[in-house]
Amino acid sequence: MIDLHGFGHQLLQGALVTVELALASLVVGLVLGLLGAAAKLSSIKPLQWIANIYTTLIRGLPELLTVLIIYFGATTVLMSIAGLFGYDEYIEIGAFAAGVTALGLTFGAYATEVFRGALQSIPKGQHESAVALGMGTFHKFYRIILPQVWRIALPGLGNLFLVLLKDTALVSVVGLEDIMRKANIAVSSTKEAFLFYLVAAIMYLVLTIVSMGVVSYLEKRARRGLTRG
Amino acid sequence: MSKVPALELIDIHKTFGNVEVLKGISLKAYDGDVISILGSSGSGKSTFLRCINMLENPTKGEIIFNGESLNLVPSGSDLVSGNMKQLTKMRQQIGFVFQSFNLWPHMTILQNVMEGPAHVLKRPKHEVMAYAEHLLDKVGIADKKHMYPNQLSGGQQQRVAIARTLAMDPQVILFDEPTSALDPELVGEVLGVMRNLADEGRTMLIVTHEMNFAREVSSDVVFLHQGVVEEQGAPSKVFGSPESERCKAFLSSVF
Repeated sequence: MIDLHGFGHQLLQGALVTVELALASLVVGLVLGLLGAAAKLSSIKPLQWIANIYTTLIRGLPELLTVLIIYFGATTVLMSIAGLFGYDEYIEIGAFAAGVTALGLTFGAYATEVFRGALQSIPKGQHESAVALGMGTFHKFYRIILPQVWRIALPGLGNLFLVLLKDTALVSVVGLEDIMRKANIAVSSTKEAFLFYLVAAIMYLVLTIVSMGVVSYLEKRARRGLTRG
Repeated sequence: MSKVPALELIDIHKTFGNVEVLKGISLKAYDGDVISILGSSGSGKSTFLRCINMLENPTKGEIIFNGESLNLVPSGSDLVSGNMKQLTKMRQQIGFVFQSFNLWPHMTILQNVMEGPAHVLKRPKHEVMAYAEHLLDKVGIADKKHMYPNQLSGGQQQRVAIARTLAMDPQVILFDEPTSALDPELVGEVLGVMRNLADEGRTMLIVTHEMNFAREVSSDVVFLHQGVVEEQGAPSKVFGSPESERCKAFLSSVF
């Protein structure tokens, strides 16, 4: 058995944080992506502008920079807002919250394009048969359009999730106790860099392989009825 | 007749860009009428049908359903609904059968038929299921209820689409070239279902190229040419002794 010098438990805790961060960012990112796509496809010009600025900005920045800007920027912004109300204690947003915000924003910006493409690929007739039956806009979207969008968007979203899962490592720079940070701590105290980075690599690999399995299961489910049989 | 028409269209115009596709079409349909709308392609017949339930926004005109005029307001060059609630309600009572079926591919046949009554009309699930099964049986497709649309032939899909429309208990059903996308050997099964509906006394407006069907089933035939009604009347008159030259030419080209 490999000797992890008692850091095995720490690394597992790190893995849990990594998974939590990835899933929380995924939820935020999916919501932002759907809203972004809806805004880009809406006929209201200001909404289109906002969505375009959002995706251009976020997709144009390195993720590491987004994480740092949110972590330090949000603290500054929050403190100056609190200062207006006469509160001058030091406020710090947690590394986890900053991570979810930064990674959620990033996932959302890319997902906006994935959802936009999927929404546009739904044939006009699908909308028409729903409308002709007397469905309201929300009902049509939720029951008829979204399930089909989901099927088309899944492969793209699965890809983005893999990127997101690995980007969580970036949040270790602001002190989040994820796999990466736990590995760094273990390395600095044991000086066994190769061992712990290898273990960290294996943990990321396990997580990504599991994610791929889940995505392919979801894809299969979503394809029900689309193959002749 | 003094009673109120189920559906009345007054002076419907539609312009796409610079092209005036409909140049003022009026039509009345009473309960039990089966009206076939004929015409060569480009005559505006599908556009007219789509204007009735506002899948296409007319440029001008009035739509009256059961004596209630649809609230239409100008938007750009077209008229749009000024009261979505009223339009939605009307659409629930006017069925529409598409040329390309437009079934929902992610739902089974049964779910497709149940969606309207269960989730739009919000009727109890068990009632809706029994009714949906009854309708699928009626269109001869009950054994396929757990299959998905893509697993069915075109004719079967169109029969499901008709069942889906019937599930809403519509007062009027609009058919937009329901057999035009089908292989020739599948046309008969769909026409058979439609013939049964006509025999039941359903009110139907049918845009079709099936001349024999139109002649046998319709109570009234309307011939459109370049966006105007060229000929209208009982099938025996329109098919037997049409007055309009264009109608004569059209009929001689299709028979």
